[in-house]
Amino acid sequence: MDELETWLTESYDQSVRTAYLILGNRLDAEDAVQEAFLRAWRFRDSLARETSIKPWLYRVVVNTCNSKLRQEIPHRDRRGSDDALANVSSIDNLSQRVEQSYDMLSALKDLPLALRVVVVLRYYADLSEREIAIAIGRQPGTVKSRLNEARKRLATHPALGAVPQEQPPTGEEATS
Amino acid sequence: MTMIDEVVLRRAIVDAADGFKVSRDAREQILNAAKEDEPEARASRGPTFLRPQGRSRTMLVAAALLLVVGAISWPLLRGEGSNAPTALASRTVHGNGGVTFGPSTAGEKVVQGNLGSPVATGTAYQSRVTITGTSAVATKVGTSPKIESTGNVDLRIGKGQVEVAFAKLTRMASGDRGFVVSSQERVGTNSAGKFSYGIMVLEVPQRSFDTLVTQVQHAGHATSVATSSADVTSQYVDLRARISAAEASRAQYLTIMSKARSIGDILAVQSQLNNLQSQIEQFQGQLNVLNNATTYGTLTVSLTEAGQQPNAVTSRSGFAKAWHDAVRGFVAGFEWVVRLAGPALFALIALSVAFVIVRYARRTIRRRRI
Repeated sequence: MDELETWLTESYDQSVRTAYLILGNRLDAEDAVQEAFLRAWRFRDSLARETSIKPWLYRVVVNTCNSKLRQEIPHRDRRGSDDALANVSSIDNLSQRVEQSYDMLSALKDLPLALRVVVVLRYYADLSEREIAIAIGRQPGTVKSRLNEARKRLATHPALGAVPQEQPPTGEEATS
Repeated sequence: MTMIDEVVLRRAIVDAADGFKVSRDAREQILNAAKEDEPEARASRGPTFLRPQGRSRTMLVAAALLLVVGAISWPLLRGEGSNAPTALASRTVHGNGGVTFGPSTAGEKVVQGNLGSPVATGTAYQSRVTITGTSAVATKVGTSPKIESTGNVDLRIGKGQVEVAFAKLTRMASGDRGFVVSSQERVGTNSAGKFSYGIMVLEVPQRSFDTLVTQVQHAGHATSVATSSADVTSQYVDLRARISAAEASRAQYLTIMSKARSIGDILAVQSQLNNLQSQIEQFQGQLNVLNNATTYGTLTVSLTEAGQQPNAVTSRSGFAKAWHDAVRGFVAGFEWVVRLAGPALFALIALSVAFVIVRYARRTIRRRRI
Protein backbone atom coordinates (compact mmCIF):
# COMPACT_ATOMS: atom_id res chain seq x y z
CA MET A 1 0.00 0.00 0.00
CA ASP A 2 2.99 2.26 0.59
CA GLU A 3 3.86 1.82 -3.04
CA LEU A 4 0.44 3.07 -4.08
CA GLU A 5 0.84 6.07 -1.82
CA THR A 6 4.14 6.82 -3.49
CA TRP A 7 2.52 6.58 -6.91
CA LEU A 8 -0.23 8.91 -5.82
CA THR A 9 2.17 11.42 -4.33
CA GLU A 10 4.42 11.44 -7.35
CA SER A 11 1.96 11.16 -10.20
CA TYR A 12 -1.64 11.75 -9.22
CA ASP A 13 -1.86 15.48 -9.84
CA GLN A 14 -0.05 15.32 -13.12
CA SER A 15 -2.13 12.35 -14.19
CA VAL A 16 -5.38 14.19 -13.50
CA ARG A 17 -4.23 17.18 -15.47
CA THR A 18 -3.04 14.95 -18.31
CA ALA A 19 -6.39 13.22 -18.39
CA TYR A 20 -8.06 16.60 -18.31
CA LEU A 21 -6.17 17.67 -21.41
CA ILE A 22 -7.17 14.47 -23.16
CA LEU A 23 -10.79 14.38 -22.07
CA GLY A 24 -11.45 18.09 -21.82
CA ASN A 25 -13.40 17.79 -18.58
CA ARG A 26 -12.19 17.79 -15.00
CA LEU A 27 -14.75 15.39 -13.55
CA ASP A 28 -14.17 12.89 -16.30
CA ALA A 29 -10.44 13.27 -15.76
CA GLU A 30 -10.70 12.55 -12.04
CA ASP A 31 -12.91 9.53 -12.67
CA ALA A 32 -10.52 8.21 -15.28
CA VAL A 33 -7.43 8.64 -13.14
CA GLN A 34 -9.06 7.04 -10.12
CA GLU A 35 -10.02 4.06 -12.22
CA ALA A 36 -6.58 3.97 -13.82
CA PHE A 37 -4.71 3.94 -10.52
CA LEU A 38 -6.89 1.20 -9.15
CA ARG A 39 -6.36 -0.86 -12.28
CA ALA A 40 -2.64 -0.29 -12.22
CA TRP A 41 -2.51 -1.28 -8.57
CA ARG A 42 -4.59 -4.39 -9.14
CA PHE A 43 -2.35 -5.56 -11.95
CA ARG A 44 0.91 -4.15 -10.66
CA ASP A 45 2.60 -7.53 -10.99
CA SER A 46 2.27 -7.38 -14.76
CA LEU A 47 3.92 -3.97 -15.00
CA ALA A 48 7.50 -4.08 -16.15
CA ARG A 49 9.84 -3.72 -13.22
CA GLU A 50 12.99 -3.09 -15.10
CA THR A 51 11.94 0.31 -16.41
CA SER A 52 10.49 3.39 -14.82
CA ILE A 53 6.93 3.03 -13.62
CA LYS A 54 6.01 6.43 -14.99
CA PRO A 55 5.33 5.54 -18.63
CA TRP A 56 3.38 2.48 -17.54
CA LEU A 57 1.20 4.54 -15.26
CA TYR A 58 0.59 6.92 -18.12
CA ARG A 59 -0.25 4.00 -20.31
CA VAL A 60 -2.94 2.97 -17.86
CA VAL A 61 -4.23 6.52 -17.68
CA VAL A 62 -4.28 6.93 -21.45
CA ASN A 63 -6.02 3.60 -21.93
CA THR A 64 -8.63 4.50 -19.37
CA CYS A 65 -9.18 7.84 -21.09
CA ASN A 66 -9.49 6.07 -24.43
CA SER A 67 -11.96 3.69 -22.92
CA LYS A 68 -14.01 6.52 -21.48
CA LEU A 69 -14.04 8.36 -24.79
CA ARG A 70 -15.11 5.23 -26.63
CA GLN A 71 -17.63 3.77 -24.26
CA GLU A 72 -19.02 6.21 -21.71
CA ILE A 73 -18.79 9.76 -22.87
CA PRO A 74 -20.46 9.33 -26.28
CA HIS A 75 -23.49 7.74 -24.60
CA ARG A 76 -24.38 10.57 -22.30
CA ASP A 77 -24.81 14.28 -22.54
CA ARG A 78 -21.42 15.66 -23.07
CA ARG A 79 -20.18 17.56 -20.09
CA GLY A 80 -19.30 20.96 -21.32
CA SER A 81 -15.88 22.43 -20.81
CA ASP A 82 -15.72 23.39 -17.21
CA ASP A 83 -14.47 26.65 -15.94
CA ALA A 84 -11.16 25.35 -14.74
CA LEU A 85 -9.28 28.09 -16.46
CA ALA A 86 -11.05 30.67 -14.39
CA ASN A 87 -8.56 29.81 -11.68
CA VAL A 88 -5.51 30.42 -13.80
CA SER A 89 -3.16 32.51 -11.86
CA SER A 90 -3.46 36.11 -12.77
CA ILE A 91 -0.66 37.32 -10.51
CA ASP A 92 1.25 38.38 -13.58
CA ASN A 93 -1.92 39.61 -15.16
CA LEU A 94 -1.22 37.45 -18.16
CA SER A 95 -4.59 37.71 -19.76
CA GLN A 96 -3.02 36.84 -23.03
CA ARG A 97 -1.80 33.55 -21.61
CA VAL A 98 -5.24 32.73 -20.29
CA GLU A 99 -6.72 33.39 -23.66
CA GLN A 100 -4.03 31.31 -25.27
CA SER A 101 -4.76 28.43 -22.90
CA TYR A 102 -8.44 28.53 -23.84
CA ASP A 103 -7.45 28.46 -27.47
CA MET A 104 -5.05 25.61 -26.80
CA LEU A 105 -7.74 23.55 -25.12
CA SER A 106 -10.02 24.19 -28.05
CA ALA A 107 -7.31 23.24 -30.53
CA LEU A 108 -6.46 20.09 -28.56
CA LYS A 109 -10.08 19.01 -28.64
CA ASP A 110 -10.07 19.29 -32.40
CA LEU A 111 -7.03 17.07 -32.73
CA PRO A 112 -7.64 13.36 -33.34
CA LEU A 113 -7.30 11.41 -30.11
CA ALA A 114 -4.10 9.65 -31.18
CA LEU A 115 -2.39 12.97 -31.86
CA ARG A 116 -3.86 14.65 -28.78
CA VAL A 117 -2.48 11.97 -26.51
CA VAL A 118 1.11 12.22 -27.76
CA VAL A 119 1.06 16.02 -27.57
CA VAL A 120 -0.19 15.98 -23.99
CA LEU A 121 2.26 13.31 -22.89
CA ARG A 122 5.15 15.09 -24.56
CA TYR A 123 4.48 18.71 -23.70
CA TYR A 124 2.63 18.38 -20.44
CA ALA A 125 3.67 15.10 -18.84
CA ASP A 126 7.16 15.69 -20.23
CA LEU A 127 7.70 12.10 -21.29
CA SER A 128 10.40 11.31 -23.80
CA GLU A 129 9.44 9.85 -27.17
CA ARG A 130 10.56 6.45 -25.96
CA GLU A 131 8.45 6.70 -22.83
CA ILE A 132 5.47 7.84 -24.87
CA ALA A 133 6.00 4.84 -27.11
CA ILE A 134 5.73 2.59 -24.06
CA ALA A 135 2.73 4.53 -22.79
CA ILE A 136 0.74 4.16 -26.01
CA GLY A 137 2.14 0.80 -27.06
CA ARG A 138 3.60 2.00 -30.36
CA GLN A 139 7.06 2.40 -31.87
CA PRO A 140 9.11 5.54 -31.09
CA GLY A 141 9.07 6.35 -34.81
CA THR A 142 5.28 6.44 -34.72
CA VAL A 143 5.39 8.81 -31.76
CA LYS A 144 7.78 11.15 -33.57
CA SER A 145 5.62 11.13 -36.66
CA ARG A 146 2.46 11.80 -34.65
CA LEU A 147 4.11 14.65 -32.78
CA ASN A 148 5.17 16.29 -36.03
CA GLU A 149 1.72 15.85 -37.50
CA ALA A 150 0.10 17.28 -34.37
CA ARG A 151 2.35 20.31 -34.38
CA LYS A 152 1.58 20.94 -38.02
CA ARG A 153 -2.14 20.73 -37.39
CA LEU A 154 -1.93 22.98 -34.35
CA ALA A 155 0.04 25.51 -36.38
CA THR A 156 -2.81 25.76 -38.87
CA HIS A 157 -5.61 25.69 -36.31
CA PRO A 158 -7.70 28.89 -36.50
CA ALA A 159 -7.76 29.29 -32.71
CA LEU A 160 -3.97 29.36 -32.55
CA GLY A 161 -3.44 31.76 -35.41
CA ALA A 162 -1.65 34.28 -33.20
CA VAL A 163 0.68 31.76 -31.61
CA PRO A 164 4.29 31.97 -32.84
CA GLN A 165 5.19 29.36 -35.43
CA GLU A 166 8.47 27.59 -35.91
CA GLN A 167 9.83 27.95 -39.44
CA PRO A 168 11.51 24.95 -41.07
CA PRO A 169 15.30 25.35 -41.17
CA THR A 170 16.74 26.66 -44.41
CA GLY A 171 19.48 24.79 -46.25
CA GLU A 172 22.17 27.16 -45.01
CA GLU A 173 21.08 26.77 -41.39
CA ALA A 174 20.98 23.06 -41.71
CA THR A 175 24.50 22.86 -43.01
CA SER A 176 25.98 25.39 -40.59
CA MET B 1 5.34 23.27 -43.66
CA THR B 2 5.36 25.35 -40.46
CA MET B 3 4.94 23.81 -37.06
CA ILE B 4 3.87 25.37 -33.83
CA ASP B 5 6.73 26.50 -31.65
CA GLU B 6 7.51 23.92 -28.99
CA VAL B 7 8.15 26.39 -26.18
CA VAL B 8 4.91 28.20 -26.81
CA LEU B 9 3.04 24.94 -27.13
CA ARG B 10 4.44 23.63 -23.89
CA ARG B 11 3.66 26.82 -22.00
CA ALA B 12 0.12 26.99 -23.33
CA ILE B 13 -0.57 23.39 -22.49
CA VAL B 14 0.88 23.71 -19.01
CA ASP B 15 -1.20 26.82 -18.43
CA ALA B 16 -4.31 25.05 -19.65
CA ALA B 17 -3.65 21.99 -17.50
CA ASP B 18 -2.69 23.85 -14.34
CA GLY B 19 -5.77 25.98 -14.48
CA PHE B 20 -7.52 24.12 -11.65
CA LYS B 21 -6.73 22.68 -8.29
CA VAL B 22 -6.66 18.91 -7.95
CA SER B 23 -8.81 17.57 -5.16
CA ARG B 24 -6.89 15.89 -2.31
CA ASP B 25 -9.86 13.75 -1.28
CA ALA B 26 -9.59 11.69 -4.44
CA ARG B 27 -6.26 10.23 -3.31
CA GLU B 28 -7.79 9.01 -0.07
CA GLN B 29 -10.65 7.49 -2.00
CA ILE B 30 -8.22 5.61 -4.22
CA LEU B 31 -6.27 4.31 -1.24
CA ASN B 32 -9.45 3.14 0.50
CA ALA B 33 -10.74 1.50 -2.65
CA ALA B 34 -7.39 -0.24 -3.15
CA LYS B 35 -7.47 -1.55 0.44
CA GLU B 36 -10.97 -2.95 -0.05
CA ASP B 37 -9.97 -4.45 -3.35
CA GLU B 38 -6.72 -5.97 -2.08
CA PRO B 39 -7.82 -9.37 -0.65
CA GLU B 40 -10.09 -10.12 -3.60
CA ALA B 41 -7.52 -9.16 -6.19
CA ARG B 42 -4.80 -11.15 -4.47
CA ALA B 43 -7.01 -14.22 -4.19
CA SER B 44 -7.94 -14.06 -7.86
CA ARG B 45 -4.30 -14.28 -8.84
CA GLY B 46 -2.69 -17.67 -8.45
CA PRO B 47 0.63 -18.32 -6.77
CA THR B 48 3.43 -16.29 -8.29
CA PHE B 49 5.44 -19.34 -9.33
CA LEU B 50 2.54 -20.47 -11.52
CA ARG B 51 2.47 -17.23 -13.46
CA PRO B 52 5.42 -17.00 -15.78
CA GLN B 53 6.47 -13.45 -16.52
CA GLY B 54 8.00 -11.65 -19.47
CA ARG B 55 10.50 -13.71 -21.39
CA SER B 56 9.55 -16.97 -19.67
CA ARG B 57 5.98 -16.53 -20.79
CA THR B 58 7.07 -15.75 -24.35
CA MET B 59 9.25 -18.85 -24.36
CA LEU B 60 6.38 -20.90 -23.01
CA VAL B 61 4.01 -19.63 -25.71
CA ALA B 62 6.64 -20.21 -28.40
CA ALA B 63 7.24 -23.77 -27.16
CA ALA B 64 3.51 -24.46 -27.15
CA LEU B 65 3.21 -23.10 -30.68
CA LEU B 66 6.09 -25.22 -31.89
CA LEU B 67 4.49 -28.24 -30.29
CA VAL B 68 1.17 -27.57 -32.02
CA VAL B 69 2.75 -26.93 -35.41
CA GLY B 70 4.95 -29.98 -35.01
CA ALA B 71 1.98 -32.12 -34.11
CA ILE B 72 0.17 -30.89 -37.22
CA SER B 73 3.14 -31.20 -39.56
CA TRP B 74 4.50 -34.54 -38.35
CA PRO B 75 1.70 -36.71 -39.76
CA LEU B 76 1.96 -34.84 -43.06
CA LEU B 77 5.70 -35.38 -43.27
CA ARG B 78 5.31 -38.93 -42.10
CA GLY B 79 2.59 -39.49 -44.68
CA GLU B 80 5.04 -38.41 -47.35
CA GLY B 81 7.54 -40.97 -46.15
CA SER B 82 5.11 -43.83 -45.80
CA ASN B 83 4.09 -43.50 -49.43
CA ALA B 84 7.57 -44.36 -50.61
CA PRO B 85 7.33 -48.14 -50.25
CA THR B 86 3.98 -48.17 -52.06
CA ALA B 87 5.42 -46.25 -54.97
CA LEU B 88 8.40 -48.54 -55.00
CA ALA B 89 6.31 -51.69 -54.99
CA SER B 90 4.07 -50.52 -57.79
CA ARG B 91 6.85 -49.50 -60.15
CA THR B 92 7.15 -51.47 -63.36
CA VAL B 93 10.26 -51.86 -65.40
CA HIS B 94 10.89 -52.20 -69.09
CA GLY B 95 14.13 -52.33 -70.95
CA ASN B 96 17.63 -52.85 -69.73
CA GLY B 97 17.15 -52.34 -66.06
CA GLY B 98 18.80 -48.96 -66.03
CA VAL B 99 16.12 -47.56 -63.80
CA THR B 100 17.07 -45.95 -60.55
CA PHE B 101 15.04 -46.60 -57.48
CA GLY B 102 14.56 -44.70 -54.25
CA PRO B 103 15.92 -46.06 -51.03
CA SER B 104 14.28 -49.24 -49.92
CA THR B 105 12.70 -49.45 -46.52
CA ALA B 106 13.79 -51.84 -43.82
CA GLY B 107 12.77 -55.41 -44.42
CA GLU B 108 12.69 -55.00 -48.18
CA LYS B 109 15.22 -56.36 -50.55
CA VAL B 110 15.67 -55.09 -54.06
CA VAL B 111 17.24 -57.39 -56.60
CA GLN B 112 18.07 -55.89 -59.94
CA GLY B 113 20.05 -57.28 -62.81
CA ASN B 114 20.22 -58.57 -66.34
CA LEU B 115 18.91 -62.00 -67.07
CA GLY B 116 20.08 -64.02 -69.98
CA SER B 117 21.58 -62.70 -73.14
CA PRO B 118 20.35 -60.06 -75.58
CA VAL B 119 17.42 -61.20 -77.66
CA ALA B 120 17.49 -61.69 -81.40
CA THR B 121 17.11 -58.00 -82.23
CA GLY B 122 20.06 -57.16 -80.06
CA THR B 123 18.42 -54.02 -78.75
CA ALA B 124 16.55 -55.18 -75.70
CA TYR B 125 17.61 -56.98 -72.57
CA GLN B 126 15.63 -58.86 -70.09
CA SER B 127 15.40 -57.33 -66.71
CA ARG B 128 13.85 -58.36 -63.51
CA VAL B 129 12.91 -56.55 -60.37
CA THR B 130 11.68 -58.48 -57.44
CA ILE B 131 10.63 -56.86 -54.24
CA THR B 132 10.20 -59.14 -51.33
CA GLY B 133 9.91 -58.49 -47.65
CA THR B 134 9.22 -60.02 -44.30
CA SER B 135 6.09 -58.71 -42.76
CA ALA B 136 6.74 -57.32 -39.28
CA VAL B 137 2.99 -57.02 -38.78
CA ALA B 138 2.49 -60.68 -39.59
CA THR B 139 5.17 -61.66 -37.12
CA LYS B 140 3.60 -59.56 -34.38
CA VAL B 141 0.04 -60.78 -34.77
CA GLY B 142 0.90 -64.36 -35.60
CA THR B 143 -0.73 -64.29 -39.01
CA SER B 144 0.94 -65.71 -42.08
CA PRO B 145 2.21 -62.93 -44.34
CA LYS B 146 -0.26 -61.77 -46.96
CA ILE B 147 1.64 -60.96 -50.13
CA GLU B 148 0.07 -59.65 -53.29
CA SER B 149 2.18 -60.57 -56.31
CA THR B 150 1.85 -59.21 -59.80
CA GLY B 151 4.07 -59.41 -62.83
CA ASN B 152 4.48 -58.53 -66.50
CA VAL B 153 6.38 -60.51 -69.06
CA ASP B 154 6.98 -59.38 -72.63
CA LEU B 155 7.61 -62.28 -74.94
CA ARG B 156 8.94 -62.29 -78.48
CA ILE B 157 7.68 -65.31 -80.37
CA GLY B 158 8.00 -66.65 -83.89
CA LYS B 159 5.82 -65.55 -86.78
CA GLY B 160 2.28 -66.98 -86.55
CA GLN B 161 2.99 -68.52 -83.17
CA VAL B 162 0.55 -66.46 -81.04
CA GLU B 163 -2.09 -69.16 -80.79
CA VAL B 164 0.48 -71.81 -80.04
CA ALA B 165 1.93 -69.61 -77.31
CA PHE B 166 -1.54 -69.02 -75.88
CA ALA B 167 -2.07 -72.78 -75.63
CA LYS B 168 1.30 -73.24 -73.94
CA LEU B 169 0.60 -70.48 -71.42
CA THR B 170 -2.84 -71.90 -70.65
CA ARG B 171 -1.30 -75.30 -69.91
CA MET B 172 1.32 -73.74 -67.66
CA ALA B 173 -1.28 -71.80 -65.69
CA SER B 174 -3.65 -74.68 -65.22
CA GLY B 175 -0.83 -76.99 -64.17
CA ASP B 176 -1.12 -76.00 -60.50
CA ARG B 177 -4.75 -74.95 -60.08
CA GLY B 178 -4.22 -71.72 -61.94
CA PHE B 179 -6.40 -70.26 -64.67
CA VAL B 180 -6.56 -67.80 -67.51
CA VAL B 181 -8.32 -64.59 -66.52
CA SER B 182 -8.39 -63.13 -70.01
CA SER B 183 -6.71 -63.40 -73.35
CA GLN B 184 -6.70 -61.13 -76.36
CA GLU B 185 -5.28 -61.73 -79.80
CA ARG B 186 -5.16 -59.01 -82.39
CA VAL B 187 -4.04 -58.88 -85.98
CA GLY B 188 -2.41 -55.79 -87.44
CA THR B 189 -0.68 -54.78 -90.64
CA ASN B 190 2.47 -52.87 -91.32
CA SER B 191 4.99 -52.48 -94.16
CA ALA B 192 6.15 -56.05 -93.64
CA GLY B 193 2.65 -57.45 -93.93
CA LYS B 194 0.25 -58.93 -91.37
CA PHE B 195 1.29 -59.58 -87.81
CA SER B 196 -0.37 -60.81 -84.63
CA TYR B 197 0.05 -59.80 -81.05
CA GLY B 198 -1.71 -60.81 -77.89
CA ILE B 199 -2.10 -60.25 -74.19
CA MET B 200 -2.92 -62.96 -71.70
CA VAL B 201 -3.62 -62.53 -67.99
CA LEU B 202 -2.92 -65.56 -65.83
CA GLU B 203 -3.61 -66.24 -62.19
CA VAL B 204 -1.87 -68.95 -60.23
CA PRO B 205 -1.60 -69.74 -56.53
CA GLN B 206 1.04 -67.63 -54.77
CA ARG B 207 3.32 -70.63 -54.20
CA SER B 208 3.45 -71.29 -57.97
CA PHE B 209 3.89 -67.69 -59.05
CA ASP B 210 7.67 -67.70 -59.31
CA THR B 211 7.64 -71.07 -61.11
CA LEU B 212 5.13 -69.72 -63.62
CA VAL B 213 7.23 -66.62 -64.28
CA THR B 214 10.23 -68.83 -64.99
CA GLN B 215 8.25 -71.15 -67.25
CA VAL B 216 6.68 -68.30 -69.19
CA GLN B 217 10.09 -66.87 -70.01
CA HIS B 218 10.93 -70.12 -71.75
CA ALA B 219 7.83 -69.95 -73.94
CA GLY B 220 9.63 -67.45 -76.16
CA HIS B 221 12.28 -64.76 -75.97
CA ALA B 222 11.56 -62.72 -72.88
CA THR B 223 12.37 -59.08 -73.57
CA SER B 224 11.13 -57.74 -70.28
CA VAL B 225 10.23 -59.33 -66.97
CA ALA B 226 8.90 -57.35 -64.08
CA THR B 227 7.43 -58.72 -60.92
CA SER B 228 6.41 -56.91 -57.82
CA SER B 229 5.12 -57.89 -54.43
CA ALA B 230 3.18 -55.86 -51.92
CA ASP B 231 2.75 -56.80 -48.32
CA VAL B 232 -0.89 -56.26 -47.37
CA THR B 233 -0.76 -58.10 -44.05
CA SER B 234 -1.48 -54.94 -42.07
CA GLN B 235 -4.63 -54.24 -44.11
CA TYR B 236 -5.66 -57.84 -43.67
CA VAL B 237 -5.16 -57.77 -39.91
CA ASP B 238 -6.93 -54.44 -39.66
CA LEU B 239 -9.97 -55.73 -41.53
CA ARG B 240 -10.14 -58.83 -39.39
CA ALA B 241 -9.97 -56.75 -36.25
CA ARG B 242 -12.76 -54.52 -37.48
CA ILE B 243 -14.91 -57.51 -38.29
CA SER B 244 -14.27 -59.01 -34.84
CA ALA B 245 -15.16 -55.77 -33.12
CA ALA B 246 -18.33 -55.36 -35.17
CA GLU B 247 -19.33 -58.94 -34.45
CA ALA B 248 -18.79 -58.44 -30.73
CA SER B 249 -20.99 -55.33 -30.85
CA ARG B 250 -23.61 -57.25 -32.75
CA ALA B 251 -23.63 -59.97 -30.08
CA GLN B 252 -24.13 -57.33 -27.39
CA TYR B 253 -27.00 -55.73 -29.29
CA LEU B 254 -28.60 -59.12 -29.72
CA THR B 255 -28.45 -59.61 -25.95
CA ILE B 256 -30.02 -56.21 -25.45
CA MET B 257 -32.64 -57.06 -28.05
CA SER B 258 -33.64 -60.18 -26.12
CA LYS B 259 -34.31 -58.03 -23.05
CA ALA B 260 -36.10 -55.19 -24.82
CA ARG B 261 -39.73 -54.78 -23.77
CA SER B 262 -41.04 -51.80 -25.67
CA ILE B 263 -41.46 -51.44 -29.42
CA GLY B 264 -39.37 -48.27 -29.39
CA ASP B 265 -36.44 -50.08 -27.79
CA ILE B 266 -36.69 -52.96 -30.22
CA LEU B 267 -36.73 -50.61 -33.21
CA ALA B 268 -33.75 -48.67 -31.91
CA VAL B 269 -31.72 -51.83 -31.34
CA GLN B 270 -32.80 -53.22 -34.68
CA SER B 271 -31.55 -50.11 -36.42
CA GLN B 272 -28.14 -50.49 -34.78
CA LEU B 273 -28.05 -54.16 -35.69
CA ASN B 274 -28.79 -53.34 -39.32
CA ASN B 275 -25.94 -50.84 -39.40
CA LEU B 276 -23.55 -53.31 -37.84
CA GLN B 277 -24.57 -56.05 -40.22
CA SER B 278 -23.99 -53.76 -43.16
CA GLN B 279 -20.53 -52.85 -41.84
CA ILE B 280 -19.61 -56.48 -41.27
CA GLU B 281 -20.62 -57.40 -44.82
CA GLN B 282 -18.65 -54.48 -46.21
CA PHE B 283 -15.53 -55.48 -44.29
CA GLN B 284 -16.03 -59.10 -45.23
CA GLY B 285 -16.22 -58.13 -48.90
CA GLN B 286 -12.95 -56.22 -48.66
CA LEU B 287 -11.38 -59.15 -46.85
CA ASN B 288 -12.50 -61.51 -49.59
CA VAL B 289 -10.95 -59.29 -52.25
CA LEU B 290 -7.73 -59.16 -50.27
CA ASN B 291 -7.80 -62.89 -49.75
CA ASN B 292 -8.26 -63.49 -53.44
CA ALA B 293 -5.46 -61.12 -54.33
CA THR B 294 -3.08 -62.77 -51.91
CA THR B 295 -4.11 -66.30 -52.73
CA TYR B 296 -3.37 -65.90 -56.41
CA GLY B 297 -0.58 -64.09 -58.17
CA THR B 298 -1.43 -62.25 -61.40
CA LEU B 299 0.87 -62.39 -64.38
CA THR B 300 0.26 -60.42 -67.56
CA VAL B 301 2.02 -61.78 -70.61
CA SER B 302 2.40 -59.68 -73.75
CA LEU B 303 3.17 -61.56 -76.92
CA THR B 304 4.77 -59.96 -79.95
CA GLU B 305 5.81 -61.65 -83.13
CA ALA B 306 9.45 -61.42 -84.11
CA GLY B 307 10.20 -58.50 -86.41
CA GLN B 308 7.74 -56.13 -84.75
CA GLN B 309 8.88 -53.10 -82.83
CA PRO B 310 9.94 -54.28 -79.42
CA ASN B 311 8.38 -52.69 -76.37
CA ALA B 312 11.64 -52.30 -74.61
CA VAL B 313 13.58 -49.12 -74.81
CA THR B 314 16.86 -49.10 -76.64
CA SER B 315 20.04 -49.46 -74.76
CA ARG B 316 21.94 -46.26 -74.13
CA SER B 317 25.62 -45.60 -74.40
CA GLY B 318 27.61 -44.62 -71.34
CA PHE B 319 27.31 -40.85 -71.86
CA ALA B 320 23.63 -41.02 -72.84
CA LYS B 321 22.91 -43.17 -69.84
CA ALA B 322 24.76 -40.77 -67.57
CA TRP B 323 22.84 -37.82 -69.02
CA HIS B 324 19.57 -39.72 -68.66
CA ASP B 325 20.39 -40.58 -65.06
CA ALA B 326 21.32 -36.98 -64.35
CA VAL B 327 18.01 -35.70 -65.70
CA ARG B 328 16.09 -38.29 -63.76
CA GLY B 329 18.03 -37.44 -60.63
CA PHE B 330 17.33 -33.75 -61.09
CA VAL B 331 13.62 -34.37 -61.60
CA ALA B 332 13.51 -36.70 -58.60
CA GLY B 333 15.24 -34.07 -56.45
CA PHE B 334 12.87 -31.37 -57.64
CA GLU B 335 9.89 -33.62 -56.94
CA TRP B 336 11.22 -34.18 -53.45
CA VAL B 337 11.55 -30.44 -52.84
CA VAL B 338 8.01 -29.80 -54.13
CA ARG B 339 6.63 -32.60 -51.97
CA LEU B 340 8.37 -31.18 -48.92
CA ALA B 341 7.34 -27.62 -49.73
CA GLY B 342 3.67 -28.37 -49.00
CA PRO B 343 4.02 -29.31 -45.33
CA ALA B 344 6.77 -26.75 -44.82
CA LEU B 345 4.64 -23.98 -46.27
CA PHE B 346 1.71 -25.09 -44.18
CA ALA B 347 3.84 -25.08 -41.05
CA LEU B 348 5.16 -21.63 -41.91
CA ILE B 349 1.70 -20.21 -42.49
CA ALA B 350 0.34 -21.81 -39.33
CA LEU B 351 3.25 -20.42 -37.35
CA SER B 352 2.81 -16.95 -38.80
CA VAL B 353 -0.92 -16.90 -38.15
CA ALA B 354 -0.42 -18.17 -34.62
CA PHE B 355 2.28 -15.57 -34.03
CA VAL B 356 0.05 -12.74 -35.23
CA ILE B 357 -2.91 -13.98 -33.17
CA VAL B 358 -0.83 -14.39 -30.03
CA ARG B 359 0.78 -11.00 -30.48
CA TYR B 360 -2.57 -9.32 -31.07
CA ALA B 361 -4.18 -11.18 -28.19
CA ARG B 362 -1.35 -10.31 -25.82
CA ARG B 363 -1.54 -6.68 -26.77
CA THR B 364 -5.33 -6.60 -26.40
CA ILE B 365 -5.27 -8.44 -23.09
CA ARG B 366 -2.57 -6.21 -21.71
CA ARG B 367 -4.48 -3.11 -22.75
CA ARG B 368 -7.71 -4.38 -21.27
CA ARG B 369 -6.09 -5.49 -18.05
CA ILE B 370 -4.26 -2.25 -17.67
